Amino acid sequence: MGDAIHTLHDFMFRTESITYLLVIVVLCGFVFFWRFLSERDDSRDHLGADRPEEHHH
Amino acid sequence: MPERKIVIQRPAWTPFNMVAGIIVVIGLIITVIRFTKGLAATTNLSDYNPWGIWIGFDLLVGVALAAGGYVTSAACYIFGLKRFHSAVRPAILTGFLGYALVVLALHYDVGRPWRLPYPFIVQQGTTSLLFEVAACVALYLTVLFIEFTPAALEWLGLKRARSIVVKLTLVLTIFGVILSTLHQSSLGALFLIAPSKLHPLWYSPYLALYFFVSSIIAGLSMVIFEGSLAHKYFHDKMDAEHLREADGVALSFGKAASWVLAGYFIIKVIGIAQTDAWTYLGTGYGLWFLVELLGFVLLPCYFFAIGAREKNLTIVRRTAVWAVLGIVLNRFNVGLIAFNYHLPSSERYFPHWMEIGISVFVVTIGVLAYKFIVTHMPILYAHSDYESH
Repeated sequence: MGDAIHTLHDFMFRTESITYLLVIVVLCGFVFFWRFLSERDDSRDHLGADRPEEHHH
Repeated sequence: MPERKIVIQRPAWTPFNMVAGIIVVIGLIITVIRFTKGLAATTNLSDYNPWGIWIGFDLLVGVALAAGGYVTSAACYIFGLKRFHSAVRPAILTGFLGYALVVLALHYDVGRPWRLPYPFIVQQGTTSLLFEVAACVALYLTVLFIEFTPAALEWLGLKRARSIVVKLTLVLTIFGVILSTLHQSSLGALFLIAPSKLHPLWYSPYLALYFFVSSIIAGLSMVIFEGSLAHKYFHDKMDAEHLREADGVALSFGKAASWVLAGYFIIKVIGIAQTDAWTYLGTGYGLWFLVELLGFVLLPCYFFAIGAREKNLTIVRRTAVWAVLGIVLNRFNVGLIAFNYHLPSSERYFPHWMEIGISVFVVTIGVLAYKFIVTHMPILYAHSDYESH
């Protein structure tokens, strides 16, 4: 990946390469962010929805 | 609830009423000047800058901040999160007032109010994004009005009409989400026509997506912000259900806002990568872009996450104000600050004091209408005749 951009291919190669690397970082970071936000939740699932209550008969 | 029938005579000459009264009088005077002398007498608009704060603030910010209606009703009625039910009516009310005021403010910018229906009956211009925005805003304002009517009908005692409207709730919610998706994104897409005028850091092929996603953030944050204001100033109007659910609504919406802000941050960074605009980050505009992206997207995301994780309402409520300011800043940047960035400073736009006066007037009208409706209609409490509904 050189510095000079002469063709559309050069431009696409550069921008798409950086985007793919960013997406990999994001997907890894997503897991940590999910855990950070949700690890202290008890009565609700990870999407914030109420868990069905247990029925005692 | 017989205690709600007690009439408390409050003094009319409160500081709030006096300030609001002065603003309304000044606003009415400017209105007369605007519609008799034209734009030149009341604005700093020009051929270079045809859109000022009446579009950048009143319309772009107004529509974004009114997104709480579709966000909350979708969460409650489409995603089935019934624990947010008490937040739906206040959110619908502010959404309705927000859109009504957007249309009111648009009259000042466009002029000749009797021509408002022209896009539909004279020249349809169906290939224009503005036509799509006009159609969606007109339809969504109607939807919000119908969604709001149960509260007014309960207040007026029209039970039969109310029962008919309530049956339409789910259909109206779905319609509202579709219309909001369309016009929130289209407002961003309006700027796609001007790639040479909008600074490369703000211009992106994803502008429509940015506007739509950020409207969700605005909606969630505004519901939290309005909830905290209602809790402070209309505490006596809130019934047990509202008081019980208010904290949960704020924490859950704060958590949701944290997620959406994180997603918004990611697509903004990917947008820079896609347009290869990294080099602009080292310029003055780049610094200002980083202030917006880091200071008003990433930091609110982090503090919403901390607030939701620690179940800290104070952090969540303060961050909501912060996020709302971030949306205001973003719309100002796209519509005004980063627009025409290449022009010399002598040609740049700065609003006339009368433009600011009309914007303050419009916001004041909204606050007064909200205060009147919340005081008189069952918005923050369930009407005694319909508590089981």
